[in-house]
Amino acid sequence: MTIKKFIRYLTSLGLAIALFILIAAYSIIGTVLPQGLQREFYIESYNSFGNIILAMQFDRVYSSWIFRVLLGVFIVNLVGCTIKILPSQLARLKEEYFPQPKADGDSYSLEQGEDEALKDQLKKQRYRITETDTGYRASKRRIGSIGSSVTHLGIIIIVLGSFLGNMFAEEGFFNLVPGDIKPFPEYGFSLRLDDFYLGFRENNTVEQYYSEVSVLSPEGGELKEKLWVNKPLKVQSLNFYQTSYGWASRLYIKDSTGEVLESRLLRSGESHFYQPSHITIYLYGYYPDFNITSQGEPLTMSEKENNPHYAVVLYQFNNHIGSYILEPGQTIDMDGYSISFNDSVLYTGLTYRKDFGYFFVLAGSLAMLLGLILSFYLYPRFILVENGRVSPITRQNSWGFSYQVRRMLKQITGREVS
Amino acid sequence: MDIIFYEELFFTLGFIAYTLSAIGFFIYVALKKDSVGKAAVLLATLGFAIHTLAIVLRVIESGRLPFSNQFEFATSFTWGIVMCYLVLHYAYKFTAVGAFVMPIAFLVMGYASMLPKNIKPLMPALQSGWLPLHVGTAVISYGAFAVAAGLSTMYLLNLRKGAGSSGKGSLPDAEVCDYLSYRVIAFGFLMLTLVIITGAIWAKAAWSRYWGWDPKETWSLITWLIYSVYLHLRFNRGWKGKPAALFSIIGFICVIFTFIGVNTFLPGIHSYR
Repeated sequence: MTIKKFIRYLTSLGLAIALFILIAAYSIIGTVLPQGLQREFYIESYNSFGNIILAMQFDRVYSSWIFRVLLGVFIVNLVGCTIKILPSQLARLKEEYFPQPKADGDSYSLEQGEDEALKDQLKKQRYRITETDTGYRASKRRIGSIGSSVTHLGIIIIVLGSFLGNMFAEEGFFNLVPGDIKPFPEYGFSLRLDDFYLGFRENNTVEQYYSEVSVLSPEGGELKEKLWVNKPLKVQSLNFYQTSYGWASRLYIKDSTGEVLESRLLRSGESHFYQPSHITIYLYGYYPDFNITSQGEPLTMSEKENNPHYAVVLYQFNNHIGSYILEPGQTIDMDGYSISFNDSVLYTGLTYRKDFGYFFVLAGSLAMLLGLILSFYLYPRFILVENGRVSPITRQNSWGFSYQVRRMLKQITGREVS
Repeated sequence: MDIIFYEELFFTLGFIAYTLSAIGFFIYVALKKDSVGKAAVLLATLGFAIHTLAIVLRVIESGRLPFSNQFEFATSFTWGIVMCYLVLHYAYKFTAVGAFVMPIAFLVMGYASMLPKNIKPLMPALQSGWLPLHVGTAVISYGAFAVAAGLSTMYLLNLRKGAGSSGKGSLPDAEVCDYLSYRVIAFGFLMLTLVIITGAIWAKAAWSRYWGWDPKETWSLITWLIYSVYLHLRFNRGWKGKPAALFSIIGFICVIFTFIGVNTFLPGIHSYR
């Protein structure tokens, strides 16, 4: 294959269609197979196919080299196609360009004088009229010629912009209980959670999650802000998002005199190891509105603290000592110590992300929409009136345009034209 | 009697009207009796009016647009299909298309009727000004694709029968179907592009990422790619007609899968029940 042939293939519509189908088909795999799990999962769940899945990177389709190659070739093809069609599209913007009617295209005959009436009507509809020896040419909306190139440009901006953006994107997640501070030293500010609370509806379901924060600057400045789901907070180039929440409960270990030996916050599912008596205290869960299922499992009816209880499991030297359902402050006494939970607080889970790719995506999307509107609705319309015959000419919507022209002629002549 | 009672009553009456209309269109195509065709169109229009009333009542009762669970999507989707069909019908007087579109409306409405209809308050992730734009454009886009699939089916059947005359000025039916399905798909494609763009902007505000390869997102991209193939085939004169019509139908199968299949088989963050 010569280089010329190769380039022609690389910029061909046939390859474009093949790529559309390949990208679509490859994407389907990512929606059917679980993504981003441990290698062992695929080997165990899919037996001999597991190795194929891993070799082909079907476990992470959208960041796999196959997908990147497909997108890379797609962009090369799209750029090539656009460069190939752009010169002829630009030529069609010029007044000198006027397409010839197709041999089998529609045309309608006019009687004497009707062509002048049509000309007036066309002028009213903002057609540009150019006189010829045997009649005239009318055209409008030539700008629509470049619609597909503008759409392609938008897609190129989106794909390249999001690729670059993802390369440099910063993302993270953190939990805070009220009073906690999360520093962002490279940005020169810290975020302090002042309060986190849930908004409730009358039926006790959660209506919204609110984090009230202060943005602290090194100079001592404090800026109070509030964020919730769908209302992120922007500080410099970082965006913060309300992502999750949970309960943190305070564990108290006291001696026989009531003196606090140890105290710390535990989230549900976390445990604390107390060295002196080698006890592991596992907080199975906190249930603000406690109840028990028919299977005997603890559950909470709502997030309101109507009937708070803790489910706690104790281990000593790796032996299970006991499982307990405790009320706030209720103690488990063991080896001269008392263990209790109290003072549960809600913590917030915030995601932060910086990604300049978004602006490319927005700009590309706008270009894409504009290009589609140009292509589909502001497409160029040409009408050739020659020797008493009217020929509507357009590439985009020939049937619809002929229909419009027929209707216009019927209005002018008062008869069905043919 | 409360509003919900009337909403369900009108929903059922609308469903019955759509069903009768679909049957009417079949009879019209089989017997080619104009009066039957007119009655079928009338039933579809009547059903649409009653269905609109049911949706308005639901909007009054819930205080928001019906875009927040699968039942609401399905009833809105049916509404979009019938609206797109009626617009096309009254613009071009293309009665036979109903025979291929109203059965789709009947099926989606039937699916809706089997889903739980209770009104639930919006979960925090859905409380956004982007919801009506994102789902509203989806309803219109899906409706347009349904109509286009009907037109493409009609085109393929016409080809098989070899029907139509080729006299100047009166294009054969098959060719008109081909053109119309292209125009309807172009509109649906523009709307689908808007669905994806508004979704990306909203996802950025709600989930921090404008694109996360969630199954619903991915399937909407797949649908978009399939219709891109259609549009390119349609532009390229040599390939229009049959291959394009096939892609129009494959595209609509993707739409249905994106709408129903993804929620049923591929749960993700988009699975609102």
